[in-house]
Amino acid sequence: MECWGRMLRAFLSGPGRRGATWGSAYSSWQPHRPVPGLLNATELVSHWTAIFEKEGIPEAQESSEYIVAHVLGAKTFQSLRPVLWTQPLTPWQLQCIQELSSCRLQRMPVQYILGEWDFQGLSLKMAPPVFIPRPETEELVEWVLEEVAPRPHAVGAQGGPLILEVGCGSGAISLSLLNQLPQSRVIAVDKGEASICLTRENAQRLRLQDRIWIVPLDVTSEGSWAHLLSWGPMDLVVSNPPYVFHQDMEQLAPEILSYEDPAALDGGEKGMDIITHILALAPRLLKDSGSIFLEVDPRHPELVGGWLQSRPDLSLHLVAVRKDFCGRPRFLHIRRSGPQRGCPVHAWPGPQPARVPG
Amino acid sequence: MSRHLCVWLVRHPSLHGHHQCHTPPFSLQFAQTHLNTSLGVFRQNRNHILHRLLNKNWSRRYYHQEISMLWKHKALQKYMQDLNKEYQTLDRCLQHISVNQGDQRSLNRRHAELAPLVTIYEEIQEAEQAIEELESMCKSLNKQDEKQLQELALEERQTIAQKINMLYSELFQSLVPKEKYDKNDVILEVTSGRTTGGDICQQFTREIFDMYQNYSSYKHWKFELLNYTPADYGGLHHAAARISGDSVYKHLKYEGGIHRVQRIPEVGLSSRMQRIHTGTMSVIVLPQPDEVDVRVDPKDLRIDTFRAKGAGGQHVNTTDSAVRLVHVPTGLVVECQQERSQIKNKEIALRVLRARLYQQTIEKDKCQQQSVRKLQVGTRAQSERIRTYNFTQDRVTDHRIAYEVRDIKEFLCGEKCLDQLIQRLLQSADEEAIIEFLDENLKSAK
Repeated sequence: MECWGRMLRAFLSGPGRRGATWGSAYSSWQPHRPVPGLLNATELVSHWTAIFEKEGIPEAQESSEYIVAHVLGAKTFQSLRPVLWTQPLTPWQLQCIQELSSCRLQRMPVQYILGEWDFQGLSLKMAPPVFIPRPETEELVEWVLEEVAPRPHAVGAQGGPLILEVGCGSGAISLSLLNQLPQSRVIAVDKGEASICLTRENAQRLRLQDRIWIVPLDVTSEGSWAHLLSWGPMDLVVSNPPYVFHQDMEQLAPEILSYEDPAALDGGEKGMDIITHILALAPRLLKDSGSIFLEVDPRHPELVGGWLQSRPDLSLHLVAVRKDFCGRPRFLHIRRSGPQRGCPVHAWPGPQPARVPG
Repeated sequence: MSRHLCVWLVRHPSLHGHHQCHTPPFSLQFAQTHLNTSLGVFRQNRNHILHRLLNKNWSRRYYHQEISMLWKHKALQKYMQDLNKEYQTLDRCLQHISVNQGDQRSLNRRHAELAPLVTIYEEIQEAEQAIEELESMCKSLNKQDEKQLQELALEERQTIAQKINMLYSELFQSLVPKEKYDKNDVILEVTSGRTTGGDICQQFTREIFDMYQNYSSYKHWKFELLNYTPADYGGLHHAAARISGDSVYKHLKYEGGIHRVQRIPEVGLSSRMQRIHTGTMSVIVLPQPDEVDVRVDPKDLRIDTFRAKGAGGQHVNTTDSAVRLVHVPTGLVVECQQERSQIKNKEIALRVLRARLYQQTIEKDKCQQQSVRKLQVGTRAQSERIRTYNFTQDRVTDHRIAYEVRDIKEFLCGEKCLDQLIQRLLQSADEEAIIEFLDENLKSAK
């Protein structure tokens, strides 16, 4: 755990720190095994794959391919310029690979080792303990895009839907929606300080900062969301909330337990805690017939359906359940029906004309 | 100068055998057959003419000349006359307002189709009339023995004859149906063959793939790598790329097929023994459909990705974003792990799948046509050996048009050298298309 400790200190000491600090963050960590006369990328991948496998590191080959590709300046090993596969590596490159691989031996997730990962084709900075976007969540964004695109959203002075994301983490969902819906605006909230900083940084990297409002907020704390009303009724609420059942937490892999923020995962006894909070406050924030899109545990569709029936006061109904690419029911579309309560008087802050209430 | 005289002479068989005329032997024979204007006799000798046309020792000038002779045949004349009549009828028809909407649209379309053909036809007729007048003037001049005027008239006739040749080619370009997919982008796939001679196939595959990458930048196309699977020792096992730009398929369609290499391997026992080995690699060129061309029902797709045990999602940390698409009805499988983002890999795989399905659709089209052309596209062509690259003799030979290039190194740079070969292939394909068209239409015209 020594490597993790050093890294964690490096990351926590500067919340807004940018750039690949891995070079300076690791000093002289002893190599796991001497690397005798290995020269090119392909050989190095084989070497480290073997070591990872021996040490029981999951996804041994993928891990070593990503690390080597990253040091050589490519996103994936497949996309590396073929000539580089057989070219000898410089000592500095070898050392970098050594250090990164050592972190992998400590079960650090590859995304944290590289300091970045892709989501919906966007490159996002990754930093522990901020939650790493899962591939399933890309499908959630696809669904939202499918539902939103055909419908025109002419709201006041601006076009485009107004979206609230609860639990933005690295900003993956918000930023990919902004990227693919050029007229949209997003309010992204999260209770973690590190998430707020990382989302802000990623928004700036992708030059989307003008259309996103990033607000520290804990939706479970009473009344905290009230000031969100000032932004006006929203078209959509999207979230990948913590949905792991509390009793399942200890069975998660070391990659997750030792590095990711448990608050981003633990959903309480039935994994429903944050989900129910979101569903309870959504009707106050959503427009009439506005939508909620959630990613959940495969056991949740039934539980959520039941819970919504027990709360007719919310005027929410479950419209559809969508499966992920492994065939597990993963995504929920919930719609609000009924008149909007408590219309706010003014709209989006800034130099815009006041919205007429009603 | 004498060529054009020949044309004239053929039309006037009475002047046959004039001492001033230097007639190449073939036109004498043709003149013989031309005397007999019955369709039957023409068709007997048609194969002879076609054979001559396909004989690549000829220059294009003779080729044009032959076409103009073919043109003069009554059957083809009749075909054009019929088209002209149809056009005039349509013209009159469209004047009437009583023609209903649906009919009007299709009539309009046909009218628009025929318009350019008829224009050229009329131009040709005018030009021929001009030549006739010049010729009669020539005759009268001869009698009066005014050399200067005669020469001027001959020059004028030459110019008009050349113009007629041009008009003929234009007409044929318009008559012969265009290749449907010429404007499309492509997916280019290369696959190494098997050999016992070290790794020459894999090395060769890499060199060929690099050549097409260079050619793409030479033509200012975009080259997007979709898949790259290397072999050991720096060779290439198979790879695929998407090439987009102007008329990409038109240029690359005849590159599909088996390319053969003959060289002494650089590694292995054979290299020391300096023995020449033969290897092959295959190139497949798939025209890329637009979104509307190929409809893939999501229900027909099985998507294989990394599958975690248990609940997946937040429960798992994974970097395995490889995607394999299986199109259940056809059994086509496409894999992709080019990107870190799983959904991007899925998009790329889907794109390749659509191109392959599109190719299958094209195959169905082509199968219906019985073609005897040397230059083919499609699965029949894929297994044909089209080109040999002989490194020891420093020579590339395209077997379809018997075309030889020296300096393999230059050729593999994928620039002017390759472009020249491709232009020659396109030319030959055009010629074959025209002949095939004439074949079909003279057959049907009774």
